[in-house]
Amino acid sequence: MNTTRFTSAALIGATLLAAGLPAGADPGRLLAAQCAQCHGTNGAGPGFDEIAGENANDLFGELIEMKYRPVEGIMDRQARGYSDAQLQLIADFLSTQPGNGDN
Amino acid sequence: MNTLGRRQFLKLAAVLPALAALPGLARATTAPPRVVVVGAGFGGATVAKYLRLWGGNIDVTLVDANARHTSCILSNLVVTGELAMSRISLGFHALRTRYGINVLQGRALSIDAPGNSVTIRTPGGNQVLPYDHLVLSPGIDFSPAPGNWNPSLTPHAWQAGAQTTLLKNQLASMRNNDVFVMTVPKAPYRCPPGPYERAAVVADYLKRKGRTGARVIVLDANAGITAEPEAFEHAFNITHAGVIEYYPNASVESVDSATRSIVTSAKSISRAKVLNYIPDQRAGAIAASMPLDSAGFVPVDPLTYGTADHPNIHVIGDACAVPATDSKAVPKSGHMANAEAKICADAIIRLLNGETPDEDIATGSACYSPITNKISSWLSANFAYGDIFDANGQVKGKGMHRVDLGEAASDMIDGDSYQDMFKWAESLFADSFG
Ligand SMILES: Cc1cc2nc3c(=O)[nH]c(=O)nc-3n(C[C@H](O)[C@H](O)[C@H](O)COP(=O)(O)OP(=O)(O)OC[C@H]3O[C@@H](n4cnc5c(N)ncnc54)[C@H](O)[C@@H]3O)c2cc1C
Repeated sequence: MNTTRFTSAALIGATLLAAGLPAGADPGRLLAAQCAQCHGTNGAGPGFDEIAGENANDLFGELIEMKYRPVEGIMDRQARGYSDAQLQLIADFLSTQPGNGDN
Repeated sequence: MNTLGRRQFLKLAAVLPALAALPGLARATTAPPRVVVVGAGFGGATVAKYLRLWGGNIDVTLVDANARHTSCILSNLVVTGELAMSRISLGFHALRTRYGINVLQGRALSIDAPGNSVTIRTPGGNQVLPYDHLVLSPGIDFSPAPGNWNPSLTPHAWQAGAQTTLLKNQLASMRNNDVFVMTVPKAPYRCPPGPYERAAVVADYLKRKGRTGARVIVLDANAGITAEPEAFEHAFNITHAGVIEYYPNASVESVDSATRSIVTSAKSISRAKVLNYIPDQRAGAIAASMPLDSAGFVPVDPLTYGTADHPNIHVIGDACAVPATDSKAVPKSGHMANAEAKICADAIIRLLNGETPDEDIATGSACYSPITNKISSWLSANFAYGDIFDANGQVKGKGMHRVDLGEAASDMIDGDSYQDMFKWAESLFADSFG
């Protein structure tokens, strides 16, 4: 690590402090962002079923069912891409998101 | 190394007022951090949007050579006339107005990495943009073609836009017994199923138009079909039997656009009606100023998409090479470019906050390939961060590895998938540009 870079990193960090950037992401936010390619930003559409604002237990239950049943469609494949703990974080995060009310 | 531990960070924050008193450093304490993004395709648009969505006050400038982005996704259906060009033309209006991104039309010419700035050629002259982080998502460039290749005579249509229209018009001019010749580039290339999909929908078009005796000849530089082999073997040998001829191991020796002729190690064709030569590919030129792997793409850290020499210069999308288990490379797709953009945006925000990047990350790709104008197959692949292996099964480091249990080609090539393709594209377009 050279000093120049170290200093510039420090200044970047300090900039943020002054600018008041949001600190710390919601757990699950980055993982859930991978749903958005098919379900819209924050799960609120357009695309396939809207998943924002659904009950966390229902969402988690559906994801687990899709992950462990024989593959019927693309979502069964996608669900296999995550650990059970990751699916829980995703369900918890999406349940807090405002939907468009048509799920 | 831009990562600072929290304790170090607090110590540094404490000395900051003193630093700020020094001349020239005042900006650092007052102005928001600056991120410049080069390329407003699927990777670049998404990273700019999510930096603003998640990063609050970050000053984001998104640079593209064009005033709108033309999507390659769905472009094979524009070639066959199923969809209008307007369907794949994506503007930057929402990125500007809804997310407050500065969109600048211009071409990035060069990067001054030690000086943290990038030079952009704009219609009004050159501009030098300083940055705290730079993200490059320029897509692909073509490797030099052997022979005399002129893409304005024999289009690739592997970057969408005028090339798509040219290929569409050439296809429309085909008559009975005419030959459409296309190549499949050597892997890795943009969109593994894309060339096979093109062969299928072009064959379907020729049949629907009643062009008796017209053929599609596929010259594949690879040893076999590189994506969804079962689906495409079925498409070539059954659905479009007698129309598609497929030749593997066809490495291109010379191309002549004037006579629409091509010589390969497996099969040569003179005077085709249409020659759709799709060259081998490498990282877009602006990213190629970073250290490259042997295939011509930029190796990156899968947690931040930072480059080896410059952790604050990030490369995402088709231009990057994500460390993966040998022969299990992360595919170059728009869906994947969007996935990588979100990891990169989150990591930049964490780095700016003096935090370490998240390791609990996942990326994925989903892809629909039309086989006719009524049916489609689908492909899905998911990756997580962890150990990756060399050809002998030894751990060779950390990277992204396949986690969706086995090959994920679709078991159903059907009309529902064809309809799903449009839902998926609508969502992906909106998540990236809307
Ligand atoms: C026929 C076809 C079908 C496809 N189908 C699918 C599909 O079904 N699903 C899927 O997920 N993917 C598909 N893809 C792949 C997908 O299009 C790419 O993987 C995706 O576009 C990559 O995103 P990117 O951001 O890396 O590059 P791009 O989306 O190509 O964006 C690059 C942008 O950078 C700009 N640019 C480049 N250099 C500079 C510079 N120096 N200065 C300023 N601007 C610059 C360009 O103008 C362009 O707008 C398909 C591709 C093709 C060719």
